[in-house]
Amino acid sequence: MHNFISRTWSSLPTICFGLVAVLGLSYICLIAVVMNYAALTVSFSQSVKNDEAVVAKLESQYLASVNQITNTNPALAGYEQPVAQVFVPAKSVTALR
Amino acid sequence: MRAQFRIRIRIILAGIVLASLLIVARLYFVQIVHGDDYSQKADQQFASGSSGLFDRGSIYFTRKDGTLISAAALADGFLVAINPQTLGNPEDAFSVINSIASSSLSLSHDAFITAAGKKSQVYIEVAHHLTSDEGKSLSALQIKGIQVLKERWRYYPGGTLASQSIGIVSYGSGDTLTGQTGIEDVYNEALSRSGDSLYKNFFAELFSNVGNLLVSARDAREGDVVTTIEPEVQTRLENDIAKVNQKYSSRESGGIIMDPYTGEIIALTNYPAYDGNDLKNADPSLLGNPLVEQIHEFGSIMKPLTMTSGLDSGVITPETTYNDTGCFVVNKAKICNWDHKARGVIPMQQIIVQSLNVGASYVATQLGQEKFHDYFTKLFGQKTGVDLPSESGGMTGNLSKSEQVYYDNMSFGQGIAVTPMQMIRALGAIANGGFMVQPHLVSAIRLDSGITKQLEWSQKVQVFSATSTRETITMMDALDDGPLYDGKAKIETMSVAAKTGTAQLTNGQGGYYDDKFFHSFIGFFPSYNPRFIILLYTQDPKGVKYASETLDATFLDLVHFLINYYAVPPDRGVARLDPSPQATSTNSR
Repeated sequence: MHNFISRTWSSLPTICFGLVAVLGLSYICLIAVVMNYAALTVSFSQSVKNDEAVVAKLESQYLASVNQITNTNPALAGYEQPVAQVFVPAKSVTALR
Repeated sequence: MRAQFRIRIRIILAGIVLASLLIVARLYFVQIVHGDDYSQKADQQFASGSSGLFDRGSIYFTRKDGTLISAAALADGFLVAINPQTLGNPEDAFSVINSIASSSLSLSHDAFITAAGKKSQVYIEVAHHLTSDEGKSLSALQIKGIQVLKERWRYYPGGTLASQSIGIVSYGSGDTLTGQTGIEDVYNEALSRSGDSLYKNFFAELFSNVGNLLVSARDAREGDVVTTIEPEVQTRLENDIAKVNQKYSSRESGGIIMDPYTGEIIALTNYPAYDGNDLKNADPSLLGNPLVEQIHEFGSIMKPLTMTSGLDSGVITPETTYNDTGCFVVNKAKICNWDHKARGVIPMQQIIVQSLNVGASYVATQLGQEKFHDYFTKLFGQKTGVDLPSESGGMTGNLSKSEQVYYDNMSFGQGIAVTPMQMIRALGAIANGGFMVQPHLVSAIRLDSGITKQLEWSQKVQVFSATSTRETITMMDALDDGPLYDGKAKIETMSVAAKTGTAQLTNGQGGYYDDKFFHSFIGFFPSYNPRFIILLYTQDPKGVKYASETLDATFLDLVHFLINYYAVPPDRGVARLDPSPQATSTNSR
């Protein structure tokens, strides 16, 4: 019993140093993980913003096309008004027809 | 034991020396070999960080198939700044910038030279909104004293499309860009971004604010705004309204297309408008939205509301007749039909079909002042609650007067002024069976957390019975199928309810002009189960007197466009369709 207490007492600094080392290592790992995560998140966020800007440019072309078509006179473009409109029953979108 | 210890010490020392040499070598390359590059990068980071990259949520149009199209987004590019302290030859610098990005230069030659002479300053922005290629070209030249920095700004892909409703962002009275008008203003809380970068705060929050990290209040608040505006319908409406305004040299013109059952605004416009991407050249007086801020006396499109009030209260029925004398005097004022002609004894429907002021006054008299007050207060006594800023209320003071002449005038739309949004909401109550809905432009907010928050707009107030609205619709239907547009308005396969309105404009001295008018038009289809209600108006058109001359063709163009675009099925004029594809009916337009 005496030996056990003596050994424990003498190895206590070692245990403490080990614990501090483990905690320190964990701390550094945590910082590394967090910083990497943050950097990746920012990078991803920037990438999304850049893509959205590109899409917005494309959408402006789409809206300009819509405007151009709306302003086009079909008759001047060579189209003629249909002589008749034919109404047909709408087809069911389900398999049960 | 001792020798072993010495070897270990030497190994450790060697390691330290090696590490030191590596660090020294690295420092040599960083400071000596690549010193200038890093210095420039550091300068750029400092300048960029001080202004911060602008961030803001998007606003979307919604196509008929549910596809989202950007109405307001972010564009990215570059800005150019000079450091007068290190800039070499200002003339050369100007010519280089001007040759690469002349359209982006925000300073004239003289202003640039003056700015370059301010040696006490180290940072002056001289050009904005450079494209990626322009920015890279200029950056590659590595001119001392010129910095090319990343920049992001608000961009409206549609330009003028729904610009007054989408709104703008500007600095206003603060030092941050915030929404100032339109949806940008009303939904600023959802659209604005707090700006604290993840890189800067994530680690600190891990220890100081774990709760916020796990359940971010910001993610539950910030997002993108989804509107109900359909871009192709909006384009059509804007083009049609612009044509009317230009053709008749009107002071302004406008229109709204709404789903009468839900209050969803499909399109809305006022001409003239502005381009949100070119605010430098925008007329400041156009930045608001006249559809909710300005009030008008709408004229005869008020008659269907007077008629429905009379029918709903039971004081008249569709079969009720009255003797139309063409003119009559009330409280010493003379009220006449638009053509001053008498019609004799006629039924109620003719009041709508022939737009008779004497008849509308008859209904108002039968209704009585108290009931008239109650109905019109329900219709116009409050703002619509539409999600646009600076909404005005109606001018309804005459509802408190005791002289009958005021009520007679209001019965045909004079002496009562309301906003276009109030008007379409009130007339929507006829279209949808008697309910006042809440008009709105935004259907949902797509939160950054990934959740889409649907906005609640289902509040409805019943004003009329379904029976009374149906009886009024029959009268409006008869107008469209009859004299409207010289009899050419009728669509064989689609019932359309319509009414024109022509009001004299006030002269600002308590009277009315004899030769200045406000033209309006209301219509919805299919009449008895409408998909769309359309309100059009044009103020002070030149060379024409009646709305039937200015807005009929525009209304019908929109009706035909909407029928085709949304494939609205016919509600009449087609024999019951056989399931066989061959058994069809035909109809010419």
